[in-house]
Amino acid sequence: MSIDQIVFTVAGAVCVAGAVTAVAHRDARTAGVALAGTLLALAVLYAGLAAPMVAAAVIAVALFSTLPFVVHLTVPTSRVHEAADGPTVTALALVLGVTLLGLLAVAVVAGEVPVNVSVRSGDGYDVAAFGGLLTGRGAVAAGGSLVVLFAALVAARAARRDRQPVR
Amino acid sequence: MTTAAYLALGAVLFAVGTVGTVVRTSAAGRLVGVELMVAAATLTFAASGVGFRELDGQIAALIAIAVAAAQAIVGYALVSRIRRPA
Repeated sequence: MSIDQIVFTVAGAVCVAGAVTAVAHRDARTAGVALAGTLLALAVLYAGLAAPMVAAAVIAVALFSTLPFVVHLTVPTSRVHEAADGPTVTALALVLGVTLLGLLAVAVVAGEVPVNVSVRSGDGYDVAAFGGLLTGRGAVAAGGSLVVLFAALVAARAARRDRQPVR
Repeated sequence: MTTAAYLALGAVLFAVGTVGTVVRTSAAGRLVGVELMVAAATLTFAASGVGFRELDGQIAALIAIAVAAAQAIVGYALVSRIRRPA
């Protein structure tokens, strides 16, 4: 078997197993983790399809949208926390996240991290053509999807704003 | 691997998501099913783009992912409000 076939077989099996588990299991924690696993296996498949941008987007959705919801559903948070002095945990998490993203960006710019992670395309990923397409023919659709995403974030923020503390 | 294999995997994922959306009765379970269906459509877009040797499939996949993320954000916010104790 070639590397392509091995990657597809393993990631595809994980993907289908995770999807079935996510659908069949009634426990929210198990279903959420299975869904996140499915998305991450899909990211591997996208990398095999020479689509690293799509793989990165799927990983971002899995890490920043699916997993936080699983944590929110499964961790009891019905206590009112007093404001602590000094930097809060949220601020520390933000600082850590921004620092790690900055380190990753520096590594990518320095050429330490290969942009092309595909096992199919050996001649590199045409980032310039992708960017040109995204800002040219696909600009309206991409802009519309970003507007939809921003509106969703604003709506979720508004839904959270009038939330009453639970004692 | 051939593009058809990726398309078949997308079809299987879509079927699983459809079953989950129809069978599950809870809002969170149905959201998971819809997420799977969108993920399957995204895989189909990307695989088709590779099959036709065009980048448009990846653009469509990215847009589908953005819309799926928006749907997930709104859906999860609604589920969280529904689950909120009175």
